[in-house]
Amino acid sequence: MNAVSPEIPTPSLPVSASRHPVAVWPWPIALGLLTIFGLLSALLGQHGVWLALSWAALSIPLIVTVACVLRAWCRTPSVKGGQS
Amino acid sequence: MTTRTLRRWFVIHKWTSLVCTLFLLIVCVTGLPLLFSEQIWDTFVGDDDPPYEVLPPGTPNASLDVIVEKARALYPGQIVTSVNPDDDEPAVLVSMAPSWQALKDDENYPDHHSGHWIKFDARTARVLEQSRPADAPKEPRTWTGIIMGICNQLHTSLFAGLTGRLFLGAMGGVFVASLVSGTVLYGRFMKRLPFGSVRRDRASRLTWLDLHNLLGAATLVWATVVGFTGLVNELQTPLFGLWRVTDVRQILRPYANLPVPSQDHLSSVQAAFDTAAKAAPGNEVTGLSFPGASFGSPVHYVLWTRGATPLRARLFTPVLVDARTGELTGAYPMPWYLRFLEISRPLHFGDYGGMPLKILWALLDVVVIGVLVSGVALWAGKRRIATDARLRALGYDLDDADDLPALVEGTR
Repeated sequence: MNAVSPEIPTPSLPVSASRHPVAVWPWPIALGLLTIFGLLSALLGQHGVWLALSWAALSIPLIVTVACVLRAWCRTPSVKGGQS
Repeated sequence: MTTRTLRRWFVIHKWTSLVCTLFLLIVCVTGLPLLFSEQIWDTFVGDDDPPYEVLPPGTPNASLDVIVEKARALYPGQIVTSVNPDDDEPAVLVSMAPSWQALKDDENYPDHHSGHWIKFDARTARVLEQSRPADAPKEPRTWTGIIMGICNQLHTSLFAGLTGRLFLGAMGGVFVASLVSGTVLYGRFMKRLPFGSVRRDRASRLTWLDLHNLLGAATLVWATVVGFTGLVNELQTPLFGLWRVTDVRQILRPYANLPVPSQDHLSSVQAAFDTAAKAAPGNEVTGLSFPGASFGSPVHYVLWTRGATPLRARLFTPVLVDARTGELTGAYPMPWYLRFLEISRPLHFGDYGGMPLKILWALLDVVVIGVLVSGVALWAGKRRIATDARLRALGYDLDDADDLPALVEGTR
């Protein structure tokens, strides 16, 4: 959490396409809501379809995580210590 | 957000995380085998109970009175302490002891076990199995038993009893604080980075940071729920204690000084089960303890009933039946704090949605371990950078070129 020292504001970074502000919260909120739905649907529903929905909802955060990690590792072959 | 508040959040996140990380790692790792303990026991130890007789389906259960009579005939002069029908097998467990006083004295001598049990077939009232006599040589412990025991102790109390439980509960609270502060920092650091990007073409610190953010954001809600419900679970001893000294004492006050009647003259156990089932509709009766038990009244059967759905399966409602007359005294739903505790249990154990849910629980647990490890890597990396910078300032020539970009990133 501390790669960029909090003492120094970031705007000094060079402005490029990837440096534009992006919406931070939609993804975490969506994954959080899916988790809550998954936790509760099995607890309250107990049967068939609610259980299956719970498994599906709780898998999505895991799938998204794995997809992001895979994407990063496939797209950029490791350049150890590459200059920025 | 001003730089000042940001720095404050950063310090909170750093210290709360540092305080709880080691214990969380222990809890996360030991939690994995506990999650599958049923399967592990079945695979490595198996069930050595005698097989149940095959009876036509729908065979009615024997009256519990018959079973209790048989138990008392086997050990004349002893008392019955409790009667517990099994959850998922057609069996009834009857616990006995020489006397209530003998059981009470056991508490002062850890190697005394005067209580013992007899397992009956619930349908034929035939004896299936008995506990090993107290003077028999100890059964050799299996590796599975030893490993699962260690995991269980580490997970719930770090081998430190109530102190350990309360300590781990406090760590759960610190963990929740670290998650909250981590979320605030996430919002700040991800301002210019699309969700889920993991930068690998730059300093390895940034890869760790991006991984920490990604894994943390994906499991945030799950970790908060399991962390918080874990904290609530660790508080069970004081919460039950609170209930005993408040409501329970109030209910039992009129009976507290009555003598315990002889077990020859008590009302029917089977009728007490039926009465309790009627008094707590929608609940199933899971057990009965006899008058005189340390937790209970001298003249009542205490019957434990619980809800029949996963959500309510751990919500216990005790029912008191007067053992002299067989009449219902009352059903006593637990206070809100114990209901909250019992509801938070399934959400901690993940045992309410079949095997797939348990596997998801395990995978999410592994991702949380990833968050912890990447957090430690970030902290350790920052410390090394600071040390290197100090050494350079003192004029040491560090010819470790690989570290230079990291240093630049870290101090930019």
